Amino acid sequence: MTALLSRAEPASSAVGAKAVRRRRFPVGRSFVAFILLAVAAFTIFPLIWLVLTSIRPANTVFGGSIWPTSVSLDAYAKAWSSTDFGLHFANSLWITLATVLGVVVFASLAGYAFAKLRFPFKNVIYVMLLATLMMPSTSLIIPLYLQLKSFGLLNSQVGLLVLYVSSSAPFSMFLMRAFFETLPDELVQAARIDGAGEFQIFWRIVLPLARPGLATVIIFQFLQTWNEFIYANTVLQNTEELPLQPVLFGLVGQYQTDWPTLCAGLTMSIVPVVLVYVWMQRQFVAGMTLGAVKN
Amino acid sequence: MSTSSSTLRAGIRQAPRSGARLWKLQRSERLAGYGFIVPITVLFVLFVGWPIVFAIYLSFTRWSGFGAPNVIGLDNYTRMFSDPVAATAFGNTLLFAIVTTVLQTVIPLIIAVLLSNVWRGLSVVVRTILFIPGIISFVVSGVLWKLIYDPNLGTLNNLLKAIGLGALQQHWLSDPAVVLPSIIVVSLWGAVGMNMLIFFAGIQGVDPTYYEAAQVDGANRLQQFWYVTMPSLRVVTAIVISLNLMNGFKVFDLIYVMTAGGPNHASEVFGTYLYSLAFGSTAGSIPQLGYGSAFSVIVMLLCGVAVLVQIVLSRRASR
Repeated sequence: MTALLSRAEPASSAVGAKAVRRRRFPVGRSFVAFILLAVAAFTIFPLIWLVLTSIRPANTVFGGSIWPTSVSLDAYAKAWSSTDFGLHFANSLWITLATVLGVVVFASLAGYAFAKLRFPFKNVIYVMLLATLMMPSTSLIIPLYLQLKSFGLLNSQVGLLVLYVSSSAPFSMFLMRAFFETLPDELVQAARIDGAGEFQIFWRIVLPLARPGLATVIIFQFLQTWNEFIYANTVLQNTEELPLQPVLFGLVGQYQTDWPTLCAGLTMSIVPVVLVYVWMQRQFVAGMTLGAVKN
Repeated sequence: MSTSSSTLRAGIRQAPRSGARLWKLQRSERLAGYGFIVPITVLFVLFVGWPIVFAIYLSFTRWSGFGAPNVIGLDNYTRMFSDPVAATAFGNTLLFAIVTTVLQTVIPLIIAVLLSNVWRGLSVVVRTILFIPGIISFVVSGVLWKLIYDPNLGTLNNLLKAIGLGALQQHWLSDPAVVLPSIIVVSLWGAVGMNMLIFFAGIQGVDPTYYEAAQVDGANRLQQFWYVTMPSLRVVTAIVISLNLMNGFKVFDLIYVMTAGGPNHASEVFGTYLYSLAFGSTAGSIPQLGYGSAFSVIVMLLCGVAVLVQIVLSRRASR
């Protein structure tokens, strides 16, 4: 696993190998570079178009060149005020942060127990949790809706939160277990002999060493929860409780011809995920790779 | 590392259990173990395990959500065979899953190989850009591409006209023949970055001496790719294929946002169909929770197939 991590960050060790390969393929490298840049341009174009459309004055959207001749931020003001954007943004933010917190706590506790503690039926329980790791939300939406209804949690943000934590905690637990397993057992045993309690060992000694793992789980969970749609769209009915994604979905009908406002709303909604991505990119990439490969 | 720790653990186990102290230690370890997994297990049982069982049960019933479910045996499953929408959804789900899996495996693999052969700076920039669509929600990318695909005002048709390819203009999302490919392009746009990164990480891990040996034997670049890179990436490829299959079988968000299964069910998949059966696409229709759940069970089974595919492919790889 550690080997994989270092692969994901082609740092000093990979440079030598790359140099060898580079010398081997000197011809055509410019052509390859050209193709890659073309692919990158195609990939980024829709997003550039999104931002450019959001800053166009409303009367210049249709027709004319792709590049706007004049810039206006009116659409942002309009999207913010007329859709209660701030409220939904805040809803998304608190639901996401609470989910991240819940998942981190539960997943790291369980991940640690499965990695380092010995207790009967450990493997049976672990396999049970693991077997349904990839259970698609599409398949569970009907029974979960009924389940929340019978618990009286339908139409409440707490109900949504519970669904988020329970559906994503097993995967994060799996990631955390992988990280905890890289730590030596001697660490735990030494602390135990020194008389530390089990929780104290976890909290004071093991958890601080698992920071890279925690960072991965936090980023991964943040993006996933912020972007989640099907549960949010089904569980909540009161408009003022909705997080951003179902609201953005609703905007399409509302602003069918007002593209700058629509695009301004979409642009504002992706600011947090882009920030998280830029801020913790290296860890994110390593974690995604690890998670995928470990599956 | 693992050898040294397991010897130590064995040593501790074999040590004479000299007293209450060690017993107490193990007892507290057991208690802590259960205590630490209680929250996740309870949540799991309530909101994953039981719903799976409940979905299976519901799939054998007819139920609108009021009163008691009416057990009707396998009727929901046999009904699928005479339901034309179910047939369309079945065909579309399989087509979507298979086509996206092929495209989202082959294209990222090619890009990853190309990326490992260019200047490092360029590679970093391209990787960063390609990954961005993958962090954006399907709601945002679906709405964004809906605007691009707009038949009258959309950028795509305007662009085609501007470069003299006006004949290629389409009603991208309202023509039944074009709608599914149009959505597949959006799925591909979002998935390339992540899959490319997995392949890229795999390629970085290939031992460079293999390439040197192949070169000494006179292998050209294509042969090196085929006989060195590909065999080394078998396990990684199995994972990518399986993840893509699973995402294809369970697809919902993107299609729901872009077409809601339309026009006239032309882009209907299991996910959108079961959702409209249970939560209603038309106002006033009676929820069909039993029939919808039957499709939930089918999606679960298909995802199980995707996991099996991975196990079979990786086992063949390690042989």
